[in-house]
Amino acid sequence: MRNILNLIQRYYVFLLFLTLQGFALYVFFNNNNYARAEFINHSRDWVGSIYSKRTQLKEYLMLGEINDRLSLENAILRSKLPENVMVVDTSSFEMRDTLAFQRYIYRNAKVENITLNRERNYIMLNRGTIGGIEPEMGVISNGSIVGIVRSVSEHFSVVMPILHSKFQGSVKMKGSGDFGLLVWPGGDPEIANVKEIPKHVKVEIGDTVVTTGYSSKFPANIMVGFVESLDDRAEENFHRISIRLSTDFRKLDYVQVIDDLLKEEEDKLLEETEAADGANGN
Amino acid sequence: MALTVINNIFRILFLILLQNLVVNRMQPLDGLILPWIYIFGILMLPFETPRWLTLLISFAVGWIMDFFSGPPGLHTSACLLLGFLQPLIQRLFSPREGYEINQRPTVQSMGLPWYLTYAGILTLIHHTWLFFMEVLRFSDFFYQLLHIVLSVAATLFLMTIGQYLIYTSKNSDQ
Repeated sequence: MRNILNLIQRYYVFLLFLTLQGFALYVFFNNNNYARAEFINHSRDWVGSIYSKRTQLKEYLMLGEINDRLSLENAILRSKLPENVMVVDTSSFEMRDTLAFQRYIYRNAKVENITLNRERNYIMLNRGTIGGIEPEMGVISNGSIVGIVRSVSEHFSVVMPILHSKFQGSVKMKGSGDFGLLVWPGGDPEIANVKEIPKHVKVEIGDTVVTTGYSSKFPANIMVGFVESLDDRAEENFHRISIRLSTDFRKLDYVQVIDDLLKEEEDKLLEETEAADGANGN
Repeated sequence: MALTVINNIFRILFLILLQNLVVNRMQPLDGLILPWIYIFGILMLPFETPRWLTLLISFAVGWIMDFFSGPPGLHTSACLLLGFLQPLIQRLFSPREGYEINQRPTVQSMGLPWYLTYAGILTLIHHTWLFFMEVLRFSDFFYQLLHIVLSVAATLFLMTIGQYLIYTSKNSDQ
């Protein structure tokens, strides 16, 4: 008995090791599904809470990345909204008739942007070369003159309206047929001037002013405005006519762009004539 | 003395959490390298720790580890082997006149060659035991061998680097 106690005292560490190791191996090898499930169930309760804390921390640390992703997604979704999609409009109406040959066709466009308070104002339209718009085309709205297309990109075009210091249009008095020059003095976007109508022509306040159709940009008899006031000077030979424009630029929304189908033919003919004249002159 | 006890307890608990919450989440090369750095807590036990206490601490550490990962008994068994052999290895590599009272099993106290031998042997034994107990269940032999070698190297590297980062010569005596 004493020998055994001595043995134990001497090797107690090794015996302790064997006992504990035996227990560990027993647990390990007798780890059938039931015991394993019990073990896991008991341990996972509090280990699980530690793991969930860790997950929460990770989620918090990833908030920046998540924000970036969400904001990108917002941008993608926003760009899919109908307001942001531009439908390319190529429609235009053309009449086919062997007797009545169509000279002008109209394309509608929407005003994207417009300035009114400058000396040189511009209007941007949401239709460009794809939509059949070209420079030098006339622009009207509800049957009254707006301006002339200046430059065109694929999807947009910029119009020089009457409200531009460089704008000049050929107009006539509807009643008498005498023609003059339409210019804008600046300032009020509702008022323009008509120059070069001689004093012998009788002009009354309220007379209608329309386009002449001499330039290929506008057909004849497009409404321009009504005579607002006469400010004639004794020393001048021409009327000073102020007209109230029939186009309300402040409310401009949809416009029609005029395409002259015979413009090329006309220009070519004029060019040839001028060239011939030049040759004769020399 | 009390400070040493508290220090060791916190070190062990911290390492177990670090092992399970951080290290086990990073498994380079699809888990080929899997360092078990929690054994650092057992390797850091002071030289004068009684052997029975080392065994019990190892048992507790292994048992807690099994709560977190692996089948029950796996880490317990490996840690018990480690806790049983650790004092023997310490004795094997002890200086002729024995360890001095202020010496600790750290790189700063014992030098890098001693530490790498001491920790290297014990880490190798622990990892081999652990991985081959797992092999009883799955996976093929040569992969496991490579697994062991790389993991032991990683564990050793992390433990050594960790000491350089954390323990200055000033506080290494705790």
